[in-house]
Amino acid sequence: MRKVLILGVASLTAGCGGEGGQRTASNDPFCQAVLPAVEAFMAESRARNPTPDDPRYGGTLVIGSIGELADGMNAAISTDYSTTQHQQFVNLMTLIDYDPEGNARPYLAESWDVAPDGTEITFHLRRDVFWHDGEQTDAYDVAFTYETVTDPLTAYPNAAFWDNYVKGPNGVAVVDDFTVVIRLEPHAEFLDPFRSAAILPEHLLGDVPRDQLRVHPYGTQCPVGNGPFVFAEHRPQDRWLFEANPAFPDALGGRPFVDRYVYRIIPEQTTLLTELLTENIDVYISPGPDQAQTIIDNPNLELRSYPFRNYILVGWNSRRPQLADARVRRAITMGTNRAEIVEAILRGYGTVAHTGVPAFHFAHSPEALPRLRYDPERARALLDEAGWRDRDGDGVRESADGTRLSFSIKYNTGNQQRQDIAEIMQSQLAAIGVEAQPQVVEWATLLQQINTPELRDFDGVIIGWVAEFKVDDTDLFHSERIDQPYAWSGTQNPEIDRLLDAISITVDRSEATNLWLEYQRVLIEEQPYTYFYFPDRLDGVNRRVVDVVMDARGEWVNIKDWYLDPSSR
Amino acid sequence: MTKYLARRLLGAIPLVIGIATIVFFAVNLAPGDPTLRFLAPGMNQEVIEQMRANFGLDQPMHIRYVKWLGAMLTGDFGYSFSHSRPVLAVLRDFVPNTLVLSAVALVVAFVLGVLLGTIQAVRQYSKVDSGLSVVLLFFYSMPSFWLALMLILTLSLFARNVWELPIWFPASGMVSTDYEFLSFGAQLRDRFMHLVLPTLSLALVLTAGIARYMRGSMLEVIRQDYIRTAHAKGLSERVVVFKHALRNALIPIITLVGLYIPVLFSGTVFIEYVFAWPGMGRTIYEAILTRDYPLVMAGSFFFAAMVVVANLIADVLYAIVDPRIRYE
Repeated sequence: MRKVLILGVASLTAGCGGEGGQRTASNDPFCQAVLPAVEAFMAESRARNPTPDDPRYGGTLVIGSIGELADGMNAAISTDYSTTQHQQFVNLMTLIDYDPEGNARPYLAESWDVAPDGTEITFHLRRDVFWHDGEQTDAYDVAFTYETVTDPLTAYPNAAFWDNYVKGPNGVAVVDDFTVVIRLEPHAEFLDPFRSAAILPEHLLGDVPRDQLRVHPYGTQCPVGNGPFVFAEHRPQDRWLFEANPAFPDALGGRPFVDRYVYRIIPEQTTLLTELLTENIDVYISPGPDQAQTIIDNPNLELRSYPFRNYILVGWNSRRPQLADARVRRAITMGTNRAEIVEAILRGYGTVAHTGVPAFHFAHSPEALPRLRYDPERARALLDEAGWRDRDGDGVRESADGTRLSFSIKYNTGNQQRQDIAEIMQSQLAAIGVEAQPQVVEWATLLQQINTPELRDFDGVIIGWVAEFKVDDTDLFHSERIDQPYAWSGTQNPEIDRLLDAISITVDRSEATNLWLEYQRVLIEEQPYTYFYFPDRLDGVNRRVVDVVMDARGEWVNIKDWYLDPSSR
Repeated sequence: MTKYLARRLLGAIPLVIGIATIVFFAVNLAPGDPTLRFLAPGMNQEVIEQMRANFGLDQPMHIRYVKWLGAMLTGDFGYSFSHSRPVLAVLRDFVPNTLVLSAVALVVAFVLGVLLGTIQAVRQYSKVDSGLSVVLLFFYSMPSFWLALMLILTLSLFARNVWELPIWFPASGMVSTDYEFLSFGAQLRDRFMHLVLPTLSLALVLTAGIARYMRGSMLEVIRQDYIRTAHAKGLSERVVVFKHALRNALIPIITLVGLYIPVLFSGTVFIEYVFAWPGMGRTIYEAILTRDYPLVMAGSFFFAAMVVVANLIADVLYAIVDPRIRYE
């Protein structure tokens, strides 16, 4: 008996001699070459800039979130929200960043000049920023990054950033080591891409073929940044470890207060909440509205909630005869009690949306718009007027030629909020004689059904967008883009085209505000979407973390200024 | 025996390749592709095409299949799209974590199951027997996902925040964030503490099944003549049960190892997800969602191979516990 069991155990455990989850950088030649230089420069910088004698310095900060930082710190290939946050505020630097009001302010670029005709921006870089391996960050890094992200071979996922810029080597010129010029056509919000696209090290990535950047170890195994935190370790699907950068310029606040920052990946929300409540993590990124009260009730924790950039909508396929008439789409919106849905699904943590212009945007002023409110009576009248009546007494309206006012509303598998929306809409719309059938589809399949121009296999679809700071609906509603993936609604409205074109070239914000208002009025009339809500962003934060700023710019915006209450560590 | 093993292993090769082929076409024919996660307005068709070309997806499927098969037979599993690293390196990171979890769970389940089943058989129809039956049935009928959440709720959250017990278990991960700074002893303890909840979630369900089998098997054995002979010789109850009866009663249980290993692997997908355990099941699951074809294929290849090996181990163990069985 003893022999049997021991044998069984031995053969089963034979494969697991090693420790799980070691440093992933260990054996890649690129990483092997790069990391010693980082170690050396960090040791030297620590000796040169000893940590100031201030109780705020020290400790390990732990943030927990459901997702991996997809594609890591390689800013040329990633779009994921948390990932870009880490590129912008943790490991790398952008030329500029935004103040809480959304105005550009210097970051890696100390200052900038815009040519009077708006075709050139000259960035003057800081001279005290170093890559974590000791090389100075200079204009050649900026030029390299610009050429890389505008080169079609890279397949930069945010290629639309550069629509109005001169792409490739002609678009950028190095004036001297710390001055770089970028060429563009004048257009609205032309500084915005430089807030988003982090600068990459030319001396490390300069000779990587651009179509190979996606498989390069830099991003996930050994990123060398120049930001406030130095990469130390990445255990995939488990954690990222960053350490304070002792060489971060004093003028930008010097080294961060915390010694170490750990980003933990915990895919299950209940587990995340438990880890926050048992103080194994300090910050829980984006808990569900159903978890908010538990966080509020715990005296050690604080619930942050603020308007954010994403919104949920029901997109209508106007190619379908039932949905072709804007009056029908307006009636559907008026037949849906969105305020009640926000209360029920988001427990009040959200605002009803009327267009896709979010709260942080300069043109956000819903009170100036002719909003469609819940009004089943008017919805019924509008449907009657459009010729949809219940002709056979089955409770569902028909048109004169017998088409039933019936359609499906698709949403993706495993999304409870969207399922709730679909089901509530089904029952509310039934009251005005409209038949909506919820239909659940796997995510990738759904995207293919709605995005493939030849297919557009949907009537209505519940989906969400994350708006960038520069809001641009051209891809969604401009008739020129009707054969592109995101023209879900199939909108063809000359007024919308004209206004979108005008907005995209208007640099002056007060002039642009008027255009935006006009555009939104037409959009509400057209109702290509039933805009649902802007959910508030929620975050659970342990009170031992001090000076945390979180707003529409993101959770990580001032992470270098956070410190841990000294009595808590 | 060696010949037999060699024959079994050779026979498994077409099986594993066949499974991998089916998986290849299944994931490639599924709607969507790896560029989907970059969905955003402004992502025009040219960028998507270039991205596909960079991923090597611009060739027709049958060409990719032949290339992939050829490369795989030489041990090259390609590059993972979502990890930006060779697939083998990804497997090297995650496979040991899954093996640790499932091996410990399997050992715990077997030791507990055999022990409880034996006790039940020896004390048949006693209060202990029926009590254990109820408890085991309770765990047996519980989905491991839910059991995992309940364990987190009680042994982690309530134990620390409500009952304020001196010992509570961390709800996620393999090690603490300050692991590097711990002494060797504390590191061992840290690892153990992190193993407890996921292992229990996996093992309790299996234990229940094994105990039922063990009880039945043991009941059959203790009625045999040679057990009566052993009793008649005046041997103590303990010696009779553990030396004479147990070994024979174990034979049918050993085959369960082979049956349970696939169950265990599919179970780890949920458990790894709930406990944020960086293992293979969760990685493959996410690879499927992001259409990371090379990783999905390598992962299923690995699991198929593991199941074949597990069955083989069960057959070998069979021969070891039962001298009457000989493989030619």
